[in-house]
Amino acid sequence: MDLRFSDEDLDFRARARDWLAANVPGTPRPAGGHAASQFDRDWQKKLYEHGWAGVAWPKDFGGMGLSGLQQVIWYEELSRAHAPAAHISTTYVAQMHAGPTIIARGTEEQKAYHLPRILSGEALWCQGFSEPNAGSDLAALRTSGRVEGDHIVVNGAKMWTTDAMHADWMELLIRTDPASQRHKGLTWLAFDMKTPGIDIKPIRTMLLDEHVNMVFFDEVRVPLSAVVGQLHGGWSTAMATLSFERGLGFIADQLELFEKVGRAVRLAGEMRGPDGLPLIEDVEVARKLAAIKAETMAIRAMTLADIAETDRTGMPGPKGSMMKLKVTATHKALTRLVSDILGWQFFEFDGNRDNNPWTHDFLWSWVFSIAGGSSEIQREITADRVLELPRSR
Amino acid sequence: MYLAPEGEELEIAAAAADFIADALPIERLHQGAGPDMGAELRASLGEMGWFALALPEGDGGSGLSAVEHALFFREVGRQCGPLDILVQALACLSTYDGGLRAALIAGEQGAALLVPDGMGHRLIGAADARYGLAVMHQGAALHDLAVAKIEPRPALDPANSLAIVNDPGPVIDSIEGAYIWQLGQVGVAAMLLGLAEAALDAIVEYAKVRETFGKPIGAWQAVRHACADMAVSNEGARAQLWYAATALKEGRGDAQAHLDAAKHLANEAALFATDATIQLHGGIGVTDEHNAHLLMKHAALLARLFGGRNELLASLLHAELED
Ligand SMILES: Cc1cc2nc3c(=O)[nH]c(=O)nc-3n(C[C@H](O)[C@H](O)[C@H](O)COP(=O)(O)OP(=O)(O)OC[C@H]3O[C@@H](n4cnc5c(N)ncnc54)[C@H](O)[C@@H]3O)c2cc1C
Repeated sequence: MDLRFSDEDLDFRARARDWLAANVPGTPRPAGGHAASQFDRDWQKKLYEHGWAGVAWPKDFGGMGLSGLQQVIWYEELSRAHAPAAHISTTYVAQMHAGPTIIARGTEEQKAYHLPRILSGEALWCQGFSEPNAGSDLAALRTSGRVEGDHIVVNGAKMWTTDAMHADWMELLIRTDPASQRHKGLTWLAFDMKTPGIDIKPIRTMLLDEHVNMVFFDEVRVPLSAVVGQLHGGWSTAMATLSFERGLGFIADQLELFEKVGRAVRLAGEMRGPDGLPLIEDVEVARKLAAIKAETMAIRAMTLADIAETDRTGMPGPKGSMMKLKVTATHKALTRLVSDILGWQFFEFDGNRDNNPWTHDFLWSWVFSIAGGSSEIQREITADRVLELPRSR
Repeated sequence: MYLAPEGEELEIAAAAADFIADALPIERLHQGAGPDMGAELRASLGEMGWFALALPEGDGGSGLSAVEHALFFREVGRQCGPLDILVQALACLSTYDGGLRAALIAGEQGAALLVPDGMGHRLIGAADARYGLAVMHQGAALHDLAVAKIEPRPALDPANSLAIVNDPGPVIDSIEGAYIWQLGQVGVAAMLLGLAEAALDAIVEYAKVRETFGKPIGAWQAVRHACADMAVSNEGARAQLWYAATALKEGRGDAQAHLDAAKHLANEAALFATDATIQLHGGIGVTDEHNAHLLMKHAALLARLFGGRNELLASLLHAELED
């Protein structure tokens, strides 16, 4: 065991820190709408132009070709520099799982076309997996594709598609073999959002935002060249996507949580209770904060352990589900505790994260434990793959 | 950067697992074995050098680090091994007297732990101990128990003797600095981790074979999800312990904070896993013949030592951490 970063790691951290100090945008990310996605594109473009895009992507595909550990260092430095965060960006799907899926399963033409556009921020992606009747049970999906010559004609509806209105491309998972059931007969398409015949309807959430959408498909014609992986073999491609989402997708959240606890401790030092004393002197508040701090230390240790292992084996292990369970539970505990610390300020909320990040994150804690595979499903995966218990289904 | 046992660490862990499973399997506690190591086992552990893993080679030890110490005591924990194994190892580090040290390393003399209790002390482990070790945050003191009046008490935890000692006798040697306390934290946290892992392994195995309503209980989600939660808390405790032990080995400035977090997470993981394993075993889980209660009782004791919840959380709150 060894906690020391290599000289290259330390050098990378120092360079990242310097560059970020000089280049972090002076204005905060706009709360939403086109302005937010434009901000995300501009930042990604700047990273690309200065050689900071795709830290752990292979060099052959325009990335920096660095280790997973250096990717962790990069996220830590982003968080520390209050730079635009990778996990609250409309570039998220493209960077975290669409790009890696194309690297793993795409044709040479698909790689050559999509990867530079993803890295430069030109192409934003969304994920069209879930449907009204297929969430946890993804294999129940019904959006159909009829193969006609060199095209697939898509009909149906996707639901919960985050940032669909900003995206240029969609990871679209559909049923192309009408006689098929469950995991068979599916196809994963790199779907161009400019194709005629789609209709996007926002769904307002309890955060008072409109980031998630219904996406309807009516006789939408997609060329067969958009198939990533095998026609009718899309489940395998989708599992690759989910393994990237589960393996890497939450690293930035994990590390940010560590910073958030520090902010909560400072907040508890400033806010006063009914007795006029700083809340940090309330033994119950202090103990709960310290217990959450210990959890975030463990989350960081788990992250480093997992990434260092993946750097050696080249394969993300099955531990991503355990990580997500711990991160989401700790996030919930922290935001709930801060809701008490904040007093009446907690109740002032207009939907803009910048005006009240804690209340925003409190509400978001349920999104975190449902989206990307609910906590119940993560427990199922842990029971199956880590503990190898008898199947429940 | 690498946070799992590797290379020689794996060999030491495997050797420790074999030795401990053979010399003091948890089944001993169902077969009339008493608490503590006892003189015979102490001598054979001494002969193998297990008490002196973290002692410098110049002092007759193996010159290894907190990491190997952690790997060894995790195996001790898995078998519900007595606390005095750890106390003996710490006592070896707590004296400047070469003769005494050699006798402790060889297991010729035993040491038990002195813990303050009101006006007096509790003595935990090694009923036949010649020495009592008191460990504080900033030092350790070795008492000669030869003339002390030791009042044995019935012990909830069958792995260790429990006694009251009002006057633990003269201090024959003492040592300053945080290292003994810190190695004590690593050792107890590692034992708790081993207990937590054993508790989870036991229910996972049982859940595959015990059937209700025509299915193995491991197919019921109430059981599966509780096991998954145990796996998550064990994983966090394990990662943090490896981090903390390595931080101590490398002399990092934030080692104490990581040790406090590691002890806290090990406490929580072991208390949770030993509770849940009893519950999920059903009626058999509360029987004396089962291991589950042995793990639970041992965990309850160890969770109090080298930092209980409130003490650890108080020191952790404002601790600064390095990258
Ligand atoms: C804000 C938000 C953004 C999202 N973004 C996207 C996106 O961009 N792209 C996309 O494709 N999807 C997205 N999702 C969808 C998300 O993946 C699903 O909501 C999630 O997988 C749960 O599916 P569901 O909503 O259909 O709930 P259901 O599957 O109907 O589940 C209902 C409840 O039953 C539990 N449950 C279900 N099955 C089991 C089981 N076998 N055992 C135990 N409990 C079970 C669930 O945990 C849940 O509590 C998003 C969701 C949200 C809320």
